[in-house]
Amino acid sequence: MKVEAIEVEGRKVYSVRAFNEGVASYLQRLPTLWVEGEVTELRRQQRWATVYLTLKDPDSGACLAAQMPRGQFDALRLDLVDGERVHAYGRPELYTQRGDFHLRVLTIERFGLGAHLAAIERLKQKLAAEGLFAAARKRPLPRIPSLVGLVTGNDAAAKRDVLSAITTRFPPAHVLVAETYVQGPRAAPAIATAIRDLCAHGADVIVLARGGGSFEDLLPFSDERVVRAVAGCSVPVVSAVGHEQDTPLCDLAADVRASTPSVAGRLVVPDLAELRASLDRAHILLGRGARRIVEQHGRRLAGTRERLSRAPLLVLERRSSRLETAHARLRALSPRATLERGYAIVRSGDRLVREPPAAGEQLDVEVARGRFGARAD
Amino acid sequence: MSAQTFEQAQAELEQIVERLERGDVGLEELTKLWERGEELYRRLAAQLADAQGRIEELARRLDAEGAD
Repeated sequence: MKVEAIEVEGRKVYSVRAFNEGVASYLQRLPTLWVEGEVTELRRQQRWATVYLTLKDPDSGACLAAQMPRGQFDALRLDLVDGERVHAYGRPELYTQRGDFHLRVLTIERFGLGAHLAAIERLKQKLAAEGLFAAARKRPLPRIPSLVGLVTGNDAAAKRDVLSAITTRFPPAHVLVAETYVQGPRAAPAIATAIRDLCAHGADVIVLARGGGSFEDLLPFSDERVVRAVAGCSVPVVSAVGHEQDTPLCDLAADVRASTPSVAGRLVVPDLAELRASLDRAHILLGRGARRIVEQHGRRLAGTRERLSRAPLLVLERRSSRLETAHARLRALSPRATLERGYAIVRSGDRLVREPPAAGEQLDVEVARGRFGARAD
Repeated sequence: MSAQTFEQAQAELEQIVERLERGDVGLEELTKLWERGEELYRRLAAQLADAQGRIEELARRLDAEGAD
């Protein structure tokens, strides 16, 4: 198409219409291709000739308006609803009157199993690279939760299983149940919101429970929004989704994975009877421990007292034996000991005789066992 | 002195006993140390009896509650 410009004061100027038509004709040269996205804002009405929808990139949130003739759309019998993943085949187009850009869709295919598996695998790699599944992130469950949050479908067997396991094991448990969609395109955002709501209500552990289902049924539990909500939850999350062999991504992000909803219920609360018994044991040990410490101190004090009462006598005995020794040594030094050895003390009057006395002098002789008089020759 | 803990009093008493048993104590000091030791003993024994009494009382009360 030839786009005519007009000349204004030496400048080339295009009318809006001419510009739009120029861009539109340029876009027509682009190839027809497949676009992958999530269906949102699907608007289909009987009196409209065109079906309008928006394709959204679930990762980045980028949006693309799309439209398809209603007859062609209906002929596909897809019964598409918002939130479903599709591949749309079409080409870019500009509505020249309004300058609106959209994808002119020729056909739409619902995501197949292979596409889903590939998408989940890509998401798994991405989140693993971010460290969302790292073992170091796993938190221990509270021993006795004050409030258990349960995210589950309304009236689901999973809900009944979790609740009955909890109340059997720990009757005084408080459980707050958030009933949400657990399958279909509305489930993922609803589950993510429910997790956050339960946290806000003070749950200190959250159970995510859903019974078995088809691969498609379990898809929301591998949705990035749910996985991020689980990983980012401020309290530990127990995931019990599907059967043992299913591994939705939320299982990898959860702090604990339970094989069934009943197992999840048993994991989040302690056994009350066991708890009582261990409390009783602790109580008995406490009493015993306290008594034993007092007894130990008592024995030690009694021993010390015993030694204390003996100690002064011991000191006195030692003192008196030292006295006896001194006395003995004193005695040894007295003249009496010398007399015992056969010596005699000779006195004249009260004078000790140290040199030979005059003949006839009256002397007084003291020996060990008495005294007697004598006269000098 | 009243701020002395049970352990401190116990350590002082045991030091006194060890000194007396070593015997290098003057007679005047002997009497003083012995009196101090006896005083410490009385205080420690009273504290122990008190602790024991409280434990027994608590145990009785808990038993009574448990029996209800």
